[in-house]
Amino acid sequence: MKTIDIYFQGEGIPALDHLEVAETATFADVKALIAKTHPHAAECHFFIEDHDEPLDHRTPVTEKAGKAGVKIHLARCHKAHVTVHYKAETIRHDFGPGTTIARIKQWAAVTKFHITEEDASNHHLQIAGTETQPDPGVHVGTLVSCPGCAIAFDLVPTPRVNGASGAR
Amino acid sequence: MQKKPVTGPDERALRAEVDKPAYRLACAEARWRVAAVQWPHVFAAVTATDGCEFGLRFDCSGYPALPPTGRLWDLATGTALPFDRWPRSKGGRVAAVFRTDWKGGTALYLPCDRVSREGHDNWAHETPTMIWRPERGLAQYLEIVHELLNCADYQPPLRAAA
Repeated sequence: MKTIDIYFQGEGIPALDHLEVAETATFADVKALIAKTHPHAAECHFFIEDHDEPLDHRTPVTEKAGKAGVKIHLARCHKAHVTVHYKAETIRHDFGPGTTIARIKQWAAVTKFHITEEDASNHHLQIAGTETQPDPGVHVGTLVSCPGCAIAFDLVPTPRVNGASGAR
Repeated sequence: MQKKPVTGPDERALRAEVDKPAYRLACAEARWRVAAVQWPHVFAAVTATDGCEFGLRFDCSGYPALPPTGRLWDLATGTALPFDRWPRSKGGRVAAVFRTDWKGGTALYLPCDRVSREGHDNWAHETPTMIWRPERGLAQYLEIVHELLNCADYQPPLRAAA
């Protein structure tokens, strides 16, 4: 039987996880399977990556499957409250918890701060007050804590690797 | 052919790492893939923004306590990638990492590379996000290379693969 890959991350699931389901499965079936290893999944909403609205669990998995399968996020909350600082400016927006760091960076850098696409590719989002720069595919919902569900980033230039004196 | 038995904790750790979902997804999305493990070497490929795939050979001895060291590699011929097939740059971040003048091209000039980090104490504060983190594993190195090959500074090689 043909199967579909389901990749999931979310509240309490910081590292990407994976399972395979039959192509006839619905997201209710996926939820039941995930709840076997992550019991809190039963209380969670499911979000397709980079979509703000939660899924209807009756939806067939095939409706949402792409080439790599389906990427979903599990969360009890519908929104992550995101703040981005860049130079002297600060912007805020509420994103679905399955929104990727890549999409938030694009929104902040290009749409809001009007940085060119080329310059934006030389900037990263860094969690404010830390040296952590989440990978582009990380869902913002894995970085926030319920019930506040808020996070702040600095949009920073990607550092160039410089040599040490005498290193060769 | 009989499979060579796993010999040490570093090899076991690496093989467990590359079985993780993040590696499966990266491969499915054609971002990067681990092509083979011939201990202590791990062969991988990373896709650039123009679709060009660059092979890498890592030496993962001591993994994950010790960082891997990686070099560009021709996966088809099993030899070092000739310099005229290396990724090029507009003079920015890509050129700083893919340096043909560094160690004869045997190691990428990255803070997460075991060979290159020696003598570079400055990297700990200049590029802290690129310092090797064992808990992130080989994916950290591959994500950094993928990001470089997909940034605006990337330019295709002088000569394409045969």
